[in-house]
Amino acid sequence: MVLLQLDPFLNELTSMFERSTEKRSVWVTLKRSSLKSKSQRNKLVTAGEAIEYRCLIRATDGKKTISTSVGQKDHQRFQASYATILKAHMTALKKRERKDKKKPAEADKREGSSKRSKKS
Amino acid sequence: MVYITEWDKFVEQSIELFRADPDSTRYVMKYRHCDGKLVLKVTDNRQCLKYKTDQAQEAKKMEKLNNMFFALMARGPDVDLSEVTGKEQMDAQPSKKGRGRKQ
Repeated sequence: MVLLQLDPFLNELTSMFERSTEKRSVWVTLKRSSLKSKSQRNKLVTAGEAIEYRCLIRATDGKKTISTSVGQKDHQRFQASYATILKAHMTALKKRERKDKKKPAEADKREGSSKRSKKS
Repeated sequence: MVYITEWDKFVEQSIELFRADPDSTRYVMKYRHCDGKLVLKVTDNRQCLKYKTDQAQEAKKMEKLNNMFFALMARGPDVDLSEVTGKEQMDAQPSKKGRGRKQ
């Protein structure tokens, strides 16, 4: 597992999505972590120092695993770029179809819910 | 493992799970392009919450959840999520007020 800087990670994630279009899945895991070993953490705790946590991000396509981490300062920039990549590559999901049918369905729901509220 | 069918429930329960044990809870997104499927999972190794979809519309909701988890994990579990999710609205409101006062 390679711990990458933010931009190399995003580039690698992009190519991971591109490589796995025909087969395979892509997993992205977010986890809160101090990136320290247990003994290192225990030392900090006994010394009364605060443990700095970061958000660890790992991605895999089943063959290769990459990772990076974001802290308080850079997570907003990262999450914006991450969202852009997801939007650009999650193109196999179904778009909403039959707009005409959707509207009456929603109207029915509203009527249904208003009836329920009247009863209650 | 049972999939949760209601999005709001999934969000609510997964954030609850994270806040109960921030250090061992992880959030996993799995995307399978060839089947057009998206699965979200939140687990602390004892309890497992899953949500699956094939709708593009749901990806937008997922983006919001991503942002919530980024904030929770990078800033800490006590972060105010209403600030994270409602940021755009909060930014827009003061500007409207500003225009009103000028007139």
